[in-house]
Amino acid sequence: MKNTFTQSMAWLHTWAGLIFGWLLFAIFVTGTLAVFDKELNHWMQAEIPATPVSQAAAAQRAIAYLQAHEPQAGNWGVSLPTERSPGLRVSTGDRRHGGGVQLDPGTGEAIAVRDSVGGNFFFRFHFTLDLPRNWGIFVVGALALVMLAALVTGIVIHKKIFKEFFTFRPNKGQRSWLDFHNASAVLLLPFHLMITYTGLVIFMLIYIPAGVDALFAGDNRAYFQAQGNSRLEQPRGLSKQPAEMVDVAPLLAQAEARLGPIAGFNIRNPNTAGARIEIRPELGNRIALSKGQAMVFDGVSGQLLSDVSEWRAAPLTQRVMVGLHFAQFGGYPMRWLYFVCGVISCVMIASGLVLFCVKRGRKYAAAEVPGHRWYRLAEVCNVGFVAGLLLACVGLLWASRLLPVELAGREAWEVRAFFGLWLLALLHAGIRPPRRAWVEQLGSAALLCIGLVAFGGLEDALRLGVAACALVLGVLLGLVAWRVQYAQPAVRNVKAGRRVEAGA
Amino acid sequence: MMLLIAGGALFAYAGMLGLCQGLERHYKPVWRRECPAALGRLLRGAGWLALLASLWLCAQAWGWAMGPVAWFAMISLAGLLLVMLLPYWPRLAVGLVAALPLWGLLQWIS
Amino acid sequence: MSRSPTWLQILSRSSAALLGGYAFSYAATACLARLLPLSPGDAVIVATLPTFIFYTLAILWAFASRDALRAWAPLAVAAPLALVGFWPQALEWLA
Repeated sequence: MKNTFTQSMAWLHTWAGLIFGWLLFAIFVTGTLAVFDKELNHWMQAEIPATPVSQAAAAQRAIAYLQAHEPQAGNWGVSLPTERSPGLRVSTGDRRHGGGVQLDPGTGEAIAVRDSVGGNFFFRFHFTLDLPRNWGIFVVGALALVMLAALVTGIVIHKKIFKEFFTFRPNKGQRSWLDFHNASAVLLLPFHLMITYTGLVIFMLIYIPAGVDALFAGDNRAYFQAQGNSRLEQPRGLSKQPAEMVDVAPLLAQAEARLGPIAGFNIRNPNTAGARIEIRPELGNRIALSKGQAMVFDGVSGQLLSDVSEWRAAPLTQRVMVGLHFAQFGGYPMRWLYFVCGVISCVMIASGLVLFCVKRGRKYAAAEVPGHRWYRLAEVCNVGFVAGLLLACVGLLWASRLLPVELAGREAWEVRAFFGLWLLALLHAGIRPPRRAWVEQLGSAALLCIGLVAFGGLEDALRLGVAACALVLGVLLGLVAWRVQYAQPAVRNVKAGRRVEAGA
Repeated sequence: MMLLIAGGALFAYAGMLGLCQGLERHYKPVWRRECPAALGRLLRGAGWLALLASLWLCAQAWGWAMGPVAWFAMISLAGLLLVMLLPYWPRLAVGLVAALPLWGLLQWIS
Repeated sequence: MSRSPTWLQILSRSSAALLGGYAFSYAATACLARLLPLSPGDAVIVATLPTFIFYTLAILWAFASRDALRAWAPLAVAAPLALVGFWPQALEWLA
């Protein structure tokens, strides 16, 4: 592409970083927020109580409710109160998403909870960009691959990677931006590489189904069976005979002893001789992602029919890699480590985007210069996709509280608020002078973050955590906005014959 | 567990500080004099040892599977904190390591 | 440096990176899956885990290669790799 290998890699890093960096920033921000998706769910649905109730008691109340309202259903689902998700939810039919009734775990009565996309929106946006699921997965996968290429090219072109390991020289304009971009990238390189690669591994068989195509003639079901995921025989005839079910509490205790904290359970064919109780562990009792694992008990006798099996080395490796990305393990301290690393990675990407414009500002800022329009476009996109996205994210939280509870299609309106704010931010960036645009948007986002405490509900540890974290982030954003407003452009010392450093 | 985690974080910081201050390039702006070669080696050696101590403490807190994951995050974040503090408040950046003996005391009495 | 216009170079190299890279990764994975002395289920996983390293290398190659034509080398390499990966299917097709 260019004359030398390093120059080509620098060109690739710069342009791939710029063009795809805007969306990558969105992926990293929503991914970071998704670390606390359940806490955000809880914050956004203010009606859910957070009084501590034992899982056994909650389970019994849930079953009592289902007996009273849906005794004939083919499948009962119960999501039990957990450390991160204090609500109790029951459903019939397939578990996937939404549906179901929220119960008060203390009384077993149904409670009316506002419809909200919750923190789950950030989780879904993170791997689909809110596109239809299969398209979104591919688009995000392609972006993740670009991120990987950007990381590797970044390493390759950073010739002084060891010499400048601890180097940061502030107040020197472009030099400082590059120093910061390098420092945040290199010091957190294990995290960046890990999170990017493991993200790709999650859907790796969807992206590159070559293995299944070659060895299983593309038959996914045959592949899954080869993994030992044979389904238990369904008791056809027995599900017609009515029968009394065993108490679920001792089974929960048995499962907890084996699996660790429990997330919930399903009862297939309830109130029949073919009843089966499947108990699921909370994700995060180990690094390897335990999605899909369950202990299955006979619903009438309480006998263990199917235990969770140990994975072999290869599937275990994959699940550990996926688990490293999902970050469900290690309790709250680990979760906070992932969150802070995520925030830094977002700032790292943003600093690269800003560096692009800072570097070319002198050359292209004047309106008559050819290429000015493209420069201006990059500048506008920087503000709109960085500050604007942050505004949209905190705006979603505000919308979840401000929109009328009874509003029809409430969830769709919340999503509209998110994208509407984002679009407004891009337009605002287009018409305001660049520095003012940054200050106004970052400042607004800061105020909205700090303002979350006004919504109260702070007796509850989870909601207090959300508000406190937002407060800290808001203050930091405010400081950045303040700094942008009052920063003096750095005076460049131009010595005769001295070349400007590194990069395309 | 929290005390172990705090220890892991403090040792991670101390480790990065040692590795950093053991380099002439970063020693000079803070102490306004040349770094003697022996001191540089001592600081760097101590830095590596502190990083190992941090790994051990993380493993005590989380086990040997999750511990290393937390450790990587801690040394990265500690390094970044150090790099941000050093140009603005060099004395504070170095002085933070004084929290380590305080932690030691807490660990000993608990 | 080539005489063709820059935008064409960029388009060609980007396509080589995206498509040639995909072909190369796909074929390398199939080849690896076929050759690894593991059970089929395990072989699929172990062969697919490194696939993004292959893809990244192909992307870097596409932009580092001396000219835009050489950028497509990974696509050429993909052919024999795919042959190894799919040789039972290839034999069937020939029969």
